[in-house]
Amino acid sequence: MSRQGFAIIAVAVALPISMALAEDAPEVPPEILAIEGDVAWGEYLSGECVTCHSARNAGGGIPRIAGRDTEDIVVALHAYKQNRRVHPIMQMLAGRLSAEEIAALAAYFNTLD
Amino acid sequence: MALNRRTFLGASAAATGALSAPYVLAEGSGKPRVLVIGGGAGGATAARYIAKDSDGAIDVTLVEPSRTYFSCFFSNLYLGGFRTIDDIGHTYGTLAANHGINVVHDWAVGVDGAAKTVTLAGGAVLPFDKLILAPGIDFVEGSVTGWDVSAQNKMPHAYKAGSQSELLKAQIAAMPEGGIYAMVAPPNPYRCPPGPYERVSMVAHVLKASNPAAKIIIADPKPKFSKMALFEEGWANHYPGMIDWIGEDFGGGVVSVDPDRMVLIIDGEETKVDACNVIPAMKAGRIAELAGVTDGNWAPVSATDMSSKADPDIYVLGDASQQGDMPKSGFSANSQAKVCANAVRGALTGSRVYPAKYANTCWSLIAENDGVKVGASYEPTEEKISRVDGFISQTGETISIRKSTFEESESWYDAITADMFG
Repeated sequence: MSRQGFAIIAVAVALPISMALAEDAPEVPPEILAIEGDVAWGEYLSGECVTCHSARNAGGGIPRIAGRDTEDIVVALHAYKQNRRVHPIMQMLAGRLSAEEIAALAAYFNTLD
Repeated sequence: MALNRRTFLGASAAATGALSAPYVLAEGSGKPRVLVIGGGAGGATAARYIAKDSDGAIDVTLVEPSRTYFSCFFSNLYLGGFRTIDDIGHTYGTLAANHGINVVHDWAVGVDGAAKTVTLAGGAVLPFDKLILAPGIDFVEGSVTGWDVSAQNKMPHAYKAGSQSELLKAQIAAMPEGGIYAMVAPPNPYRCPPGPYERVSMVAHVLKASNPAAKIIIADPKPKFSKMALFEEGWANHYPGMIDWIGEDFGGGVVSVDPDRMVLIIDGEETKVDACNVIPAMKAGRIAELAGVTDGNWAPVSATDMSSKADPDIYVLGDASQQGDMPKSGFSANSQAKVCANAVRGALTGSRVYPAKYANTCWSLIAENDGVKVGASYEPTEEKISRVDGFISQTGETISIRKSTFEESESWYDAITADMFG
C-alpha cells in the first residue's frame, strides 16, 4: 500500500482546536482502524488512564474520555504514538501501546456513559 | 447490568448453591478473602479494584486506622493556601456502600504468615487468603539528632498529612516579621521526591505575601534533588533572596536540632529558627516489618505483581515497597495497586491476568499557576520495576504551559482520589 493509500484522519474531530492546529494528523491504515477492540483488556489497560482522566469530572485540565467515539480515541492515541500530537505524558504512554491495545482502550472507553 | 460471561457464570453458580469458585484457597469460607492494610493511594485503590472487578466473588476487608484520609499529595497546596484541609480529606463510605468493602478502622498490630491471619489492636483476628500491605512510611528513629516523634509538635514533620499539616501551617502564620523558617530535608529514598521543595515553594508563597522579610533555610543531606533546576529557577524568579538551600557539600547532612530551644545546628553552627519542619529518614510502615517482609528499611517485591519476595501470599504496595526504579508517590502506589489487584483476582478466581505496566507523574506547584511535572513509564524485569521512558518540564517554559501543567494537576487530583475512594 502506498503512503497515499493510508487513511489520513483529521485529528481535530476529537480535540480542542487550539491543540490540534499545529499538529499533523496521524497515519492510521484502514486495517488498524478495523481492529476490533477487546473490551475486557481495555478495561484493565484503562487503569493507567483513569488515574488522570476521571470518568466523573467534566474536563478541566485533563479532558474526559469516557463515552468518546471509538475512532476518535484510536486516532488521538496514534497521533500521540507517532509524535504528531504533542503532550509529554500522552506521548510516553501511547508510545508503548500496541495497535491492539489502543483498539482495546478505545472500545472500552466507548462503552462508558 | 449487561449479561457477560462472568455475571452469567456467577448467576448460574449461585442458582446451584455453589457460589465458591474452584480457586478458593481458604477452607470453610464461601469466598476467597483479601485483606488490605492501609487505606491510602495503594491500599484503597487495590481494595476498590478487587471488589469492583470481582463482582462480589471476593470478600475484601480494608483496615485503616483513620476515618478521614488526608492526602499527602496536595497537602503542600494546603500550606500555600490553594486548598483547604477539607479539600484534601477523604472518607471511606463509598468503598463500603458502593463496592461492598468491609472497612475496619483499627490498627493492624501483627501478621501470622503461616496461619494467614492479621491481629488488630482491638483484639480481632482476621483471616486472609491474600494480604496486601500498603502502610506507607514510618520514620527512622535517630536519623535527625535531637528529634523524635515526641518533638513533632514543636518541629512538625507534616509528612503524614492532617493535623501535622495544620500545625505547620499555624506555625508559619505565627512567625515573627523577618523570622526564619527551616526545613531539614530527608535522605533518599523517601516519599514524594519533589515534596520538600514544593513545600518550600508554598511556604515562600505565603511568606512573600504576609512576611516578605522572612527567610527560609533548607538543610539537605543530598547533593541534588528532584526537579532541582526547575525549583531553583522558580525560587529565583518568584522568591529572590528568600531561600537558602544548604546541600551535602556545604554541611547540609551534618544537622541536629534542639526542639526546646528552637535551634537548628548545621555543621556545628547554631541558628535560632521560628518554625522548623523536620522530615526524617523514612522506612516502610511498621506492619511490613512485623509481617517479616522487610529487608532493611523496605519490603522487596516482585516486579510482575508486587508480591513480597519473602511470602508470595503477601503483597506490598507504594512507599513501603522496594520495587526498583519507581519513585515513592501516590501515583506510583495507585499504578502498582492496579497491577496487584489484577494478579490477586486472577490467583483467587481464575480471571484473566494481564502483563504489568506501571507509570508515574509527579506534579509540583512553585507559585500560583506555575506548575511543573516529571514522569516516567516502567515495566517489570527479572530484577526490578525498570524505567522505560520519561519526561520532565523544562526551564524557561512559557507562563501558559506552566498554567496548563497546574490545571492538569488539579484534574489529576480529582481523578486519582475518585479512583481510590469513588
